[in-house]
Amino acid sequence: MLEHVYLIPLLPLAAAVTLVFLGKEGPHSKMPFLSVATMGWCLLQSSAILWSAMTGAAHLPYAASMPWFEFGEYPMSLGVLIDGPAAMMLFVVTLVSFLMQVYSIAYMHGDPRFKRYFAYVSFFTASMLGLVVSSNLLVVFSCWELMGVSSYLLIGFWFEKPGPAYASKKAFITTKVGDLGFYLGMLIIFAYAGTFDLTMLRERVAMGAAYLPAHAATAAGLCLLFGAVGKSAQWPLFIWLPDAMEGPTPVSALIHAATMVAAGIYLVARTYFIYQASPLAMDAVAWIGLVTAFMAASMALVSYDIKRVLAFSTVSQLGYMMLALGVGGYSAGLFHLTTHAFFKALLFLGAGSVIHSVHSNDMREMGGLSKKMIVTFATMTIATLAIAGFPFSSGYYSKEAVLGAVYAHSPAMWAAALFTAAMTTFYMFRLIFMTFLGEARDHEKEHHAHESPALMTIPLCVLAVLSVCSGWILEHFGLVEHLFGLPSAVVHGAEHAAKAVEAAGAAAEHGAAAANHAAGHPASHPAFLVPAALSAFAAGLGISWKLYASGDFTTATKIKQTFGPVFTLLEKRYYFDDFFLFLVDLSDRLAAACFWVDANIVDRIFVDGWGLVTILLAEIENFIDAVFVDGLVDASGWVSRQAGAGLRTLVTGQVQEYLLYVALAVSVFIIQMLTMR
Amino acid sequence: MTNLLTLITFVPLFGALAILAVPKEKTKAIHAIGLIAAAISFVLSLLALGQFDKASSAMQLVEKAAWIPSFGVNYHLGIDGLSLPMVLLTTLLTLVSLIFSMSVENRVKEYWFWFLVLDVGMLGVFVSLDFFLFYVFWELTLVPMYFLIGIWGGPKKEFAAIKFFLYTLFGSVFMLLGILALYFTSTPHTFDITELMKLHPGWSESFQITLFIAFYLGFAIKVPAFPFHTWLPLAHVEAPTAVSVILAGVLLKMGGYGLLRVSYSVLPLGFKWFLPILIVIAFINIVYGALCAMAQTDMKKMVAYSSVNHMGYCLLGLAGVTATGFNGAVMQMVAHGLVTGALFLLVGVIYDRAHTRDMSAFGGLGAKLPIYTALMTVTVFASLGLPGLAGFVGEFLCFLGAFQRFKLFTALSVLGILVTAAFFLRMIQKVFLGPLNQKWANLEDMSWREIIAVAPLTALTVYLGVWPRPALDLMNPTINNMIQSLAAVFK
Repeated sequence: MLEHVYLIPLLPLAAAVTLVFLGKEGPHSKMPFLSVATMGWCLLQSSAILWSAMTGAAHLPYAASMPWFEFGEYPMSLGVLIDGPAAMMLFVVTLVSFLMQVYSIAYMHGDPRFKRYFAYVSFFTASMLGLVVSSNLLVVFSCWELMGVSSYLLIGFWFEKPGPAYASKKAFITTKVGDLGFYLGMLIIFAYAGTFDLTMLRERVAMGAAYLPAHAATAAGLCLLFGAVGKSAQWPLFIWLPDAMEGPTPVSALIHAATMVAAGIYLVARTYFIYQASPLAMDAVAWIGLVTAFMAASMALVSYDIKRVLAFSTVSQLGYMMLALGVGGYSAGLFHLTTHAFFKALLFLGAGSVIHSVHSNDMREMGGLSKKMIVTFATMTIATLAIAGFPFSSGYYSKEAVLGAVYAHSPAMWAAALFTAAMTTFYMFRLIFMTFLGEARDHEKEHHAHESPALMTIPLCVLAVLSVCSGWILEHFGLVEHLFGLPSAVVHGAEHAAKAVEAAGAAAEHGAAAANHAAGHPASHPAFLVPAALSAFAAGLGISWKLYASGDFTTATKIKQTFGPVFTLLEKRYYFDDFFLFLVDLSDRLAAACFWVDANIVDRIFVDGWGLVTILLAEIENFIDAVFVDGLVDASGWVSRQAGAGLRTLVTGQVQEYLLYVALAVSVFIIQMLTMR
Repeated sequence: MTNLLTLITFVPLFGALAILAVPKEKTKAIHAIGLIAAAISFVLSLLALGQFDKASSAMQLVEKAAWIPSFGVNYHLGIDGLSLPMVLLTTLLTLVSLIFSMSVENRVKEYWFWFLVLDVGMLGVFVSLDFFLFYVFWELTLVPMYFLIGIWGGPKKEFAAIKFFLYTLFGSVFMLLGILALYFTSTPHTFDITELMKLHPGWSESFQITLFIAFYLGFAIKVPAFPFHTWLPLAHVEAPTAVSVILAGVLLKMGGYGLLRVSYSVLPLGFKWFLPILIVIAFINIVYGALCAMAQTDMKKMVAYSSVNHMGYCLLGLAGVTATGFNGAVMQMVAHGLVTGALFLLVGVIYDRAHTRDMSAFGGLGAKLPIYTALMTVTVFASLGLPGLAGFVGEFLCFLGAFQRFKLFTALSVLGILVTAAFFLRMIQKVFLGPLNQKWANLEDMSWREIIAVAPLTALTVYLGVWPRPALDLMNPTINNMIQSLAAVFK
């Protein structure tokens, strides 16, 4: 089972390739069943791996590899490294992908590119699975990039429309900005540690300055973090995620729950040992997470697009995970990643069900749908309770773990995170209330609304069950520590981190907390943390109920008018989009300027200019040649010609004249002789 | 076969001479002769690959005979891990270019004649181990290129041809001076490159620097390295499709090959002296070249400028002077040959149909031309360095190799990757996505001839991207040896 784990990413890849090349395309193509069946098989395998990991039957971490290629003295290997988080991610990814594909059979049925859709989804899932299992950072990066391409293809799936065409490009470029960070991080890591193999890297980092000195660890950590920021849509690169909604809705479920955005968090977790070697990078993770969680939640407060609200909530929850990782709550972060996958997939698939039914994203055109779509309503409410942290739901346990870890690190950060939790409860119930409760605001749409087919509702129900009980199971059976506990080999690193912190005179609690978590003993939290979280939940729910449950939004509108500028700021997403558009514009201008220089200066002056100078020199030379050199030649010719012409008058051809000349000459000669004497 | 390299090099010449004997109306016969000659040359180069001992870094399949004994000029051929990839690239690209060129209808006989002569020159450059011979082949490439651009090119073909010819000639004159200087400095006088490689310890630094600059002018113009790159966009835009493929795919590689074979190996102190400048030039090539490409609306010109960017990666890999970087540089040359070759072919495909290359004239072709779109998308992603495709391997190794020596400029060069992604995706968006421009409602997808020309390049791009081992194993021993033998100089 574990020894064939490499098949889990490879089979979906094979399915994707098969779907591209074989079979007939069309709205009723049968080929997609190949993709679904493959994913089903992968889900079974992953479940078996997870089960043996949970029961302890499988000895983790499991590693295996084969040589890939060599350059210089360095070998690169293709391999798998399965630890607790990887086993869990395998299960989560295959489950969400499988359910989403089943759902898509109904949702995408009738699309002219039905087959291609499943090819892309399979490819997408394969990339994520490859990223999860790979033991080599270079392969992780490769899968990371391939995922970027698959998201490009899927977000732009309906590419005939300008919206998706633009959004797909935006998503790709924005995440590519982050990827540059990943790229640089790899350059740094390789320059110092000389390997991309995660196990070997972990050992070398643990050796400290011999391989990765503190400043290099910080640089590498920050660079990798920047990569994660792009992929996981963290501040300030979150701008692509709301636009990514242009893709088919099930794809959003896949992107937001299991693939793509989860990859950033997973990367930070996978390279956690580097962060442990650098308190600064660790703090950066925490701060990025906190800022993102807060900002995204605030933007969700004012959005009317059901998918955008969910998109912002994803960003915010990912911020939570980053925050947890950054404050040393390794297991808490991964725990939240897991539970979030279930309820967020459920929320998106539920939203897809709603959109499928009413053909609109705008919550202002919905309302009162609970009567017509009872399964969707019930399951989405369960997911909302989970994301809001309602007691004993999955989100409750993971969020408590996150908040506890944050409190141990910094009470001020905890307070901000708690406030974010209250906002989360507020906007999520706002979504439920606006969509399902009250009276229908658009009767035309309401009239056509209907519950979705079983292929769509069954996945919702499965996810709903997991949203309820996954937290309790993982917590109750001690699986959080068992699966997500930091492996013992890293304790070196943690101690090293702790020492570094002390040496730097930084906050001693930080190191202690990190070391504490690393050693597998969660710090005991003060008793008031749980009541505080519950009151935040109650506050969010209460305000939301007051403003939105009745279907009468006058109070909400009044508040909006009172705080106009704040709303505008939030609706404009803190002007980050405009800022990035400005950057794009700037780079276009820069490009135009470069090309101008190239065409007019480098080429025209230096190259054609050379040519001109040469031609000019030739002209001058020609002039000198014609006037002086040739003139001299001509002049000598003229002189001889003139001389010749003068002399010619003497040469007449008359013998008597010649005789006369002779006679004259002889007489002159004789006279001279005579006078000399 | 003892004369394998001779055969590979001169079979196309026999083809060219045979074409001369065919009446010009018989285009089918001309095509057949040309294709057969190129195919034989290609198969023979595969045979050479089979006979090549990958573990050895020595010159192999060596042929040596006295040519002009009084001047010590020998007919000396041989290949190692550096030249064999280039030979294979040349024979392959010539073959696919000729397949694509079957659509040329104007003055067919001369076109195929010159094309095959060009092939001889290029192959000769890569297999020569004697400077005299090297120079003869180097110059031999110019003449056919001049005619191919000047007769079968676009609206400004004459200007482009003359500019290309004079510019490259300007560079090679300095190279000739360098060759003569090497000849007269060596005792006994020799043109033998392998002999000259051993002599550098006896030469002063200033001598090596002077000669380095002379050779560099010749090579940098070919690469092309900033600021000697401006002939390239013009020549590419004006050249016919298949000639652009050869120009980008092979002729530019002569520059990179020369830098490794001559500048680095024969004049190491000069090369070392130049490194701080080279890294800046590499950076400019990468970022500035990419930005210039982003400013283009003509697809072909954009691809041309992207070559400036891609060859910048090569220079970056060279500047690292590590086995990693050199592997990257050679790999990048191979990948660029395949990928940019395919890109030029694909741009040619759309130009043949639409008679325009202006991106904004298109739109929404994605649903209309599925095969074309698929091949173009894969090629574009290879060009922007997507892992799993050949472009990434070379590019990444170049960065990896350079970063060990020059951190700042290497890190800054990473920006080029972003810009490359931006302009290629914009091209995809403008040409293939969005609503279909009704003007092109009758456009036809690729013909078999075009698919046969492009598909091998695409297949190799995917293969070498996923499994770069065959290419890297070929070059790695040679490169390791090159690095180790001069390790003391570059410490």
